[in-house]
Amino acid sequence: MNYIIAIPLLPAAVFGLFFVLPRRIRNRMLYLPLAAMAGSFVLSIPAFLSAWPGGEDAVRTGTWHVAYRLGTIGTGPLDVILRLDPYAAMMLLVVTIVGLGVQIYSLSYMRGEERIGWYYAVLSLFTSAMLLLVLAGDYLLFYMAWEVMGLCSYLLIGFWFTDNAARNASIKAFLVTRVGDVGFAVGLAIIWVTVGSFDFHAVLPAATTWGPGVATAVALLLLFGAMGKSAQFPLHVWLPDAMAGPTPASALIHAATMVAAGVFLVARSLPIFEVSGVAMHAVLLIGGTTALLGATMGAVQYDIKKVLAYSTISQLGYMFLGLGTGNVAAGLFLLLTHAFFKSLLFLGAGSIIHSLHTQDMREMGGVASKMKVTTVTFTIGALALAGIPPLSGFFSKDLILDSLWAGHHYVAFAVALSTAMLTAFYMTRLWLRVFPGEPRDTKHAGGHESDWKILSPMVVLSVITLGIGFSAIVFAKFIAGEAAWPQLVMGSTSTLVALVGIVIAWVLFGGGRDTEERTARSSFVYLLVSNKYFLDYPYEHIALGYTRFSEGVNWFDRVVINGVVNGVGVACRQGGGLLKRMQTGRVQTYQRLVLAGVIAFIVIAVYLRGV
Amino acid sequence: MRVGMEFFIGLSAILFCLGLYGALSKRSAVMILMSLELMANAVNINLVAFSRFVTPKVMTGQFFAVFMMVVAAAEIGLGLALVLALYRQTQTIEVQFLNELKG
Amino acid sequence: MLSTVSGVAALGMSAIVVGAAVMMLTSRNVVHAAFWMLGSMLGTAGVYLLLSATFVALVQVMVYAGAVAVLLLFVIMLTLRRREDAVRSRDFSAVALALAVLFGGVMLYVLWGLHVPAAPMPAIVPGIEEFGLLLFSTWMLPFEIASLVLTVALVGAVWWSGGRRGR
Repeated sequence: MNYIIAIPLLPAAVFGLFFVLPRRIRNRMLYLPLAAMAGSFVLSIPAFLSAWPGGEDAVRTGTWHVAYRLGTIGTGPLDVILRLDPYAAMMLLVVTIVGLGVQIYSLSYMRGEERIGWYYAVLSLFTSAMLLLVLAGDYLLFYMAWEVMGLCSYLLIGFWFTDNAARNASIKAFLVTRVGDVGFAVGLAIIWVTVGSFDFHAVLPAATTWGPGVATAVALLLLFGAMGKSAQFPLHVWLPDAMAGPTPASALIHAATMVAAGVFLVARSLPIFEVSGVAMHAVLLIGGTTALLGATMGAVQYDIKKVLAYSTISQLGYMFLGLGTGNVAAGLFLLLTHAFFKSLLFLGAGSIIHSLHTQDMREMGGVASKMKVTTVTFTIGALALAGIPPLSGFFSKDLILDSLWAGHHYVAFAVALSTAMLTAFYMTRLWLRVFPGEPRDTKHAGGHESDWKILSPMVVLSVITLGIGFSAIVFAKFIAGEAAWPQLVMGSTSTLVALVGIVIAWVLFGGGRDTEERTARSSFVYLLVSNKYFLDYPYEHIALGYTRFSEGVNWFDRVVINGVVNGVGVACRQGGGLLKRMQTGRVQTYQRLVLAGVIAFIVIAVYLRGV
Repeated sequence: MRVGMEFFIGLSAILFCLGLYGALSKRSAVMILMSLELMANAVNINLVAFSRFVTPKVMTGQFFAVFMMVVAAAEIGLGLALVLALYRQTQTIEVQFLNELKG
Repeated sequence: MLSTVSGVAALGMSAIVVGAAVMMLTSRNVVHAAFWMLGSMLGTAGVYLLLSATFVALVQVMVYAGAVAVLLLFVIMLTLRRREDAVRSRDFSAVALALAVLFGGVMLYVLWGLHVPAAPMPAIVPGIEEFGLLLFSTWMLPFEIASLVLTVALVGAVWWSGGRRGR
């Protein structure tokens, strides 16, 4: 069973190797990260099977674990634990499948890139960290992998660092997620103080004995960390900007896996949240707000990647909604299906961008006639996201709506339904702008279908998207959650809502119409939404204030600190000039000084000892 | 009147200080060497006095004094050789002219 | 049984030693100073005798009064170009005096509180015979090392003072 260690280790080894190799050589060794990724995938299959059929016991005890003792803090032993349980097994497959797909895709998408070797190295490191995160059996290792992913995210967003936007976006992403990480770290500290262990299996059962105060504090702090990573309101501002990175990296990191880490953290720590009722409500509140906000903002974007980014934010909020009802299966099943259809959508968008050399939807159009495979796969992904049966998105959305209704969270339910409608709306808007009709801009008319390296991952992902929805019941059993087949009322309601969204979008944008340009511009709501609810402004003001403060510090540094330092230097030189006179070069001067020193020492010694 | 060890140690201290003064103040290298010999003598008196009053039977201090003399003899021999070499090089043995170490 | 030292003799010898040293330091003539040093050395030999260290006194006379003094005189002779150079200007230094006095004061202050119990002298005072036996048994190795040191010093002295003249 110890082969499981190799799953995260293989990509990590590739990163280590690429890190030391010169660029010229590693650029030619791209088969290596691919092979490592494939190896991880192959090893994940028996790992998954070993966790099969999952269930209550498997979740509680795990089916395999290995622990390394790092040392002791105070009296408590500090262990690093890798543990395979159904959660981890499921995520292993998701991460390796999407990761492998993205790596194959990148071969074509990033071809000719000067630093492609580094790109693959970071991609490998990221995959390794994500695999480590899902396998982590304790909060410490989880946190470590979490931070490594943050680093990789930073590196990949800023991959084209000569571009100002990309550089700023990478810094923004790093700093905003860091805000959340502080909460996570403080939460970990409280956990350590309270339990004396980081082991999930020690912390989570112990959580039931905590007072509501401690539980609420820890849960909210963990939630804060998850909000940063999963781009939840109000820490969501980094994710749309993160689209400045390479599209396949966005697909892997900012859609399928890393941003799901926050959801995964909450899912793992759900017992703590359940002890504190407040935290559960906070999860619902954050999730609902984010879902709705993300969906509305996604509805007015012109950049195809930004639409998908806001959609990701919205869907992550949806997952939180699911977790907030206490139904792990609902949240994680959306995580699973979303990972596949959202990476499919991103890869599709990448294929279109690669072919048309633009990200602006106003310049697109008529893609359907030139890029057949992309069109079909993208449409599957879009329908899945919109929640049209029988695609995977429908089932996962239904699970969440079901548990919201069953939990009597009617407000959240309404929010979720509206989000579902908006989701269908913006995906239709996107689809209508990009695929049918004629190219709107002749500059970007020369579209052509991408090669098989780009298409094959998309085809595989769309097949998965088509089929995986039916596994809801099995999945829920596997991770010891609850799920049922969609009820007729609920299923038809959500479908109907989605159809309403599609119809509205068709009315507004069908047949090449563009009502947005003419009418919506004057609307207050449109202004509000298209400016991202002005949510970036507080951040900008904070940043501006910080810049002022930095300038002040800089001034202080330049004038005062530098002055002191230079003053010390000058004083030393002057003092040296004076002291130089003492260096007469005459032996007897030195003798006298030495003697004076000796006398001083003797006097001090006599004085102290009182001889 | 009988005197004890303190008397000889005091004599040694005074002699040592005289030698010290000479070593610190004299400008002639030969005079400095002579002052050093005075200091060595002071130390020897000390050693012999301790030997006499503390370990009269085994005479450890006396042996130390003898070895001290050996070292002092070697020192004065080498020191005077140095003075000669110095004189040959600079035509002087006045230490105030020897300030090549000046910073 | 001689348990302590005769005060009169000790005072006399001390007076010779210190007086000769003072004269050495105050004398303006280098040759005179060398002779005053010789006097101080001989006085020291007398102190050794008072302390019943016969052999040390003997060595003191031979090494210091004999070899060192003669060596000093030779060097003075070799480094003086004219007879008048032997007389030197007064080189008094207040700083050096103050330091030396201070140092002496500190030493004497420390001595003030010192009380070493004096062991009674053995009935038969150990003489040169016992000294020699001990020197060639207990102190064998240091003795040999001392001879080695002297040899090295001799070679070094020859080398420095004249060894390079031929080159």
